[in-house]
Formats: sequence, structure tokens, C-alpha cells
Amino acid sequence: MHKLKKLFTKIAELYQTIYNRRNRYKKLIGQIVIYVLLITISYVFLFPLFSMVSLAFMSPEDIINPEIDWLPQSFYLGNFTASIKVLNAGKALFNSIWFSGLLAIAQTIVSALTGYAFARYEFRFKKILFALILVSFIVPVPVILIPRIMMIASAQDMIGTPLIGTVYPQIVMAIFGQGVNSAILILIFFNFFKMIPTVLFEAAKIDGASALDQFWHITIKMSLSTIVVVLLFSFVWNWNETYVTGLLLRNNTILLPTQLGIFDSIFTTRPPEIPGQGGEARLSEAYKMAATLLTMVPLFIIYFAAQKQFVEGIEKTGITGE
Amino acid sequence: MKKQKVYKSDKDILKAIQRSNDHNLQAYMFILPWLIGFVIFTVGPFFYTMYLSFFDVQKTGLGWQTTFVGIDNYIVAFFKNLAYIPALLEFIVVEVTYVPAIIIASFILAILLNRDLKFRGGFRTIFFLPVIVLSGSVMDKLLDTGSTRLSDFSENIIFKMIMNYNMGAARALLALFENFTMVLWFTGIPIILFINGLQKINTQLYEAAKIDGATTWQILWKITVPIIKPTALIVTIFTIVQIGMYNINPVYGLIKDSMYDLAGGLGLASAYTWVYTLVVLFFVLVALFIFGSREKKTEVKLTSIQRLNFDRMREQIAQGNEEVNHA
Repeated sequence: MHKLKKLFTKIAELYQTIYNRRNRYKKLIGQIVIYVLLITISYVFLFPLFSMVSLAFMSPEDIINPEIDWLPQSFYLGNFTASIKVLNAGKALFNSIWFSGLLAIAQTIVSALTGYAFARYEFRFKKILFALILVSFIVPVPVILIPRIMMIASAQDMIGTPLIGTVYPQIVMAIFGQGVNSAILILIFFNFFKMIPTVLFEAAKIDGASALDQFWHITIKMSLSTIVVVLLFSFVWNWNETYVTGLLLRNNTILLPTQLGIFDSIFTTRPPEIPGQGGEARLSEAYKMAATLLTMVPLFIIYFAAQKQFVEGIEKTGITGE
Repeated sequence: MKKQKVYKSDKDILKAIQRSNDHNLQAYMFILPWLIGFVIFTVGPFFYTMYLSFFDVQKTGLGWQTTFVGIDNYIVAFFKNLAYIPALLEFIVVEVTYVPAIIIASFILAILLNRDLKFRGGFRTIFFLPVIVLSGSVMDKLLDTGSTRLSDFSENIIFKMIMNYNMGAARALLALFENFTMVLWFTGIPIILFINGLQKINTQLYEAAKIDGATTWQILWKITVPIIKPTALIVTIFTIVQIGMYNINPVYGLIKDSMYDLAGGLGLASAYTWVYTLVVLFFVLVALFIFGSREKKTEVKLTSIQRLNFDRMREQIAQGNEEVNHA
């Protein structure tokens, strides 16, 4: 009897281990499936970049050669040197940096002020105004752009100096909080400032700090990381914005993305000093890809230096609710 | 004797406290720059464009000259200009196909990423990359050179079956599949928002459901999806707006062309943009309809002293009620 009992417990134990192992295998297979899925999707994500890089480094012979699909035979840099010439890359890069930087600084300051007011104070029409910030994100840009252009045109008639084709209109709009995606920037600040305990402000108030003191000494000094996030986002968005910039700046101040936008027309109107010009379509594609890659390089650098800030920035908007 | 104000309920007290909490002057000082800009550069133009769409706008030496033309601009947009309606239809097709695809793809990716994985950060970095590098001109070049094309789907048998059935739907599907990379490239921010939403779900809910014998599939549909709905609404609206901003939206190009020319055509451009805006708003309304509304929360911010006061007043009310009951 005792033996039988022992046998049964043994069988039960065995069954348990088999069951556990099976479960573990099931889990493992599940894990593998997920990894395969994610890696496949990552490949699809990066596919345009891969094909772009591969084409950009191909020499004309490689491109014509049908046997070469992905890896060029040699590391050919001719496409880049040609694109740098066509894009006027040095000057365009310099312009793009100060243009986006200036707008980013202006946007950051105004968004901080606005976000602070909404996070810290109760005031009349607060809810309506806050809702309007959100609504302003939905309004398509062209709708408000037409009267803006008319305003700018009237203003330049009044002053007597041309404004369209200069950076001033966009800077003025950024200063007044109407730049690219400024609603999102305000939201990022609003959500961070809301987390600062009100006790701090009360204490400062009792010690005689004015509203501006409270803003500067408590809020700003506590939220340097958030300021960096907003600056980065604003910089990148201003860099990538080509619609408004194309209309207001025209081609007087050359910027990298706008230069890329008109790459084809510059490319074909230039005297034929570049090999492959007007030749086969895929040849000029290599130039286009090289140029595109060039304009993306600064953004890649920013992203890989500060990727954590970017992802956290979107989480900080808090628009998914508490 | 001055009559002391009687507070009947918590709500009254909160209201009174809130009123004493108002800092109208300071608050408006802080939002003044934004407010001025908002009124002058956004609200004003928004309605002025509507007004302009009924006018012929000319730039003369004296400034802008507008003459009323009735609905002529709309007639031109709808009947005379052969490019506008096709462009608008193409935009609608892009929205209808891309938005659901983006929402579903980003939701699935968020669920996949929202678990213990090695290289989770690495995947997230890859999926977020397009948000940073994608600009109108970059996208233009990528589409132009066909770098986004994974493979040719037009020879696919299933696709051919759909083509026999409905040519238009087949073409829309083909565009979607061929540009699937583009669909994925729009999922960067939605994925982050979805992950953020998923992480806020109380894990005890899942455990409770599991104990009650729910399968993973049931948990997904009965717990995750309903809770994630508000996030889905925000993601959907965000996506609708985002798609409009890129070159896959042919309407923007058309508007830009008629806007570039300052001498005229601004009235027509206004008509174009207004019709376009209505279409976008319609899509937003559809999103609101599908993902419903969440209940309203009232939130009042109190200082610590006010919180003490609030508690004391509540006690007083409670005592008062007790006295009434005793009597």
C-alpha cells in the first residue's frame, strides 16, 4: 500500500514536470514568434533607409549592372560630392541650423509661459481656452495661412521693405505662440508643470516671491530636462516643416529641406558637369538618394544623441489621460 | 449683522474656494503673448478665410481689393477646375485607407512592445525614428524613387480577385500595401501613446480575469480595448491631422499652387481650403462617433491650507446635519 502511494506521487511529480516543461516551451515559442514579428516589422520600417543608403553609395557602373542589388562593389562617394554641390549644402546646413534654432527658442519660451499659466492658476475662461489650444491643432494649416500671407503682404507695403522671403514673419508667429505644433509643446509643459507640488509655490509666496519669481526660480529651474525636450522637438519640427516655410521664405534663404524639395529642378537646370545627368533614371535616383541622406544626417545625429528625451517627450504630453 | 453665507454641499464650498483661488491678472499676463497670437494669427484668419471664399481677391497698389462674387469660387472649385475634385477624392481615399491601417498597426505594435522583451528600447528607437527624420521633401523623394515599395502586389491572386470585384477598392488596397512602409512610418507617435495608455491599465484587472478563466483573446477585447478607447480617439485624431500635412495629400499641393500667386487666386484658394477643412472636420467627427466620449471628471486644485479648510467645513456640515437629525 505504501509503495503504491509512493508510485502515485512519483507519477504525479513526473506529470507536473512534463506539464511545466511544455508550458515553458509554449512560452518560448511565443517569445520567438514575437521577436520574429518585431524584427520583420523593423526591417519594413528601415527598408527605405536601407535602399536609400545602398543606392547612394553606388557608382554609375554599379547601378547599370543588373547583378548588383544591394551591396555596391566599391564605396563610391561621387553621388555625395555632386549632391553637396547641387544642394549648396554648407550654406544650407548653416542656414537651417540657425533658422530652426531661432524658431525653437522662441517657441519654447512662449510655450513655457502659456503652459505655466494653465498648470498653476485658476482663471476665467481657462477651460475654454485650453480646449481651444487642442482644437487649434486640428485646424488645417492652409486655412489660416491665406489671411496670414495677406497680413504679411499688407505689412510689407506699410513698412516698405519686403517681408515675404525673410524669416521675420515666422519668427513673429513663433514669438506669439503660433509656430509648428505649438499645441503639443504647450501640452508637454503643462503636464510637467502640473506635477510640481503647489506647496512650493505657497512657501515662496509667503516668503514674498512675486509671480515672476515663482515662475523663474521654482518652475524653470526645476524643469530643465523638459525644456530640453521641447527645444529638441521644436527644432526638429521646424527643420522638417516645408509647407509654410516654402511659402513664406521662398528661396531667398536656402535651407536643406527646401533645397531638397527643389533638388530635381536645380539638378536639371545646372550645366552638365555631373556625370549621368539626363541619363538613365536610376542614375539620377542615386543623386536624389544621396541628397536625401545628406539632409537627414543632422537629424540622425540629434536623434541618436537624444532618443530617450524624444520618446519621453511624447509620453509627457499626457494626452492619454491620467 | 452680516449674514454668514451657508454652504449647502461640497460643491458650493469648492466653488467658493475656487473663486478665492482665481488669479486672473497673473494668469493672463503669462498667456498674453499666446493669446494675442492666437486671436490675430489663428482665430481671425480662420473666419476671414471663410469670408474670403465668397470674394475675388486682388492685390493692387492700394492694398488688397475684394469684390463679392457669391459662390463663384465654389462653382469653380467643384465644376470648372478639373483638378480639385479628383485631388479631394484622393485625399479621402488616403484617409480612409491609411488611418485604420495606422491605428491597427500601432495598436498591435504597442501590445507587442508592452511586455518584458530584450532590446525593447532598440525596437522603440527604430519605430520612433521616422517621426524625427520624416519631412515633406524627404517623403517626396522616397516615394518618387520607389524606395518605399517592398514588392509588387499587383500580380497577387487575392488582389486580382478583389480587382474583379471592385476596381476602385482594389486600387486603394494596392496603394496601401505598396506603401505599407509609409503606413508604418506614421505609427511612431501613436505607438508611444498606445504603450503609455496600456501601461496605465491596472494589472490586477488582468489577473482577476485570468482567475475567472478568461482567455487572452477575451481579455484583449473585454478589458484592453474598452479601456484604451480614449487613447484610440486621440491617436485617431492625431493621425487624421498628421496625414493631411504630407505630400500624400494632393490637396495641399493644389492649394499651395493657387496661394503662391499673390496677384490673385486667393479667393479660390480660400474656397479650396474651406471645403478641405470641412472634410477633415467630418473625419474628426467620425472618430469621435466611433470612439465615444468618456465621462467628465471635475478637478479642483486646492492649496494645502484650503484643503484643511475644506475638511473643516465638511465636518461642520456633517455636524449640522446630525443636529438636524437629532431635532
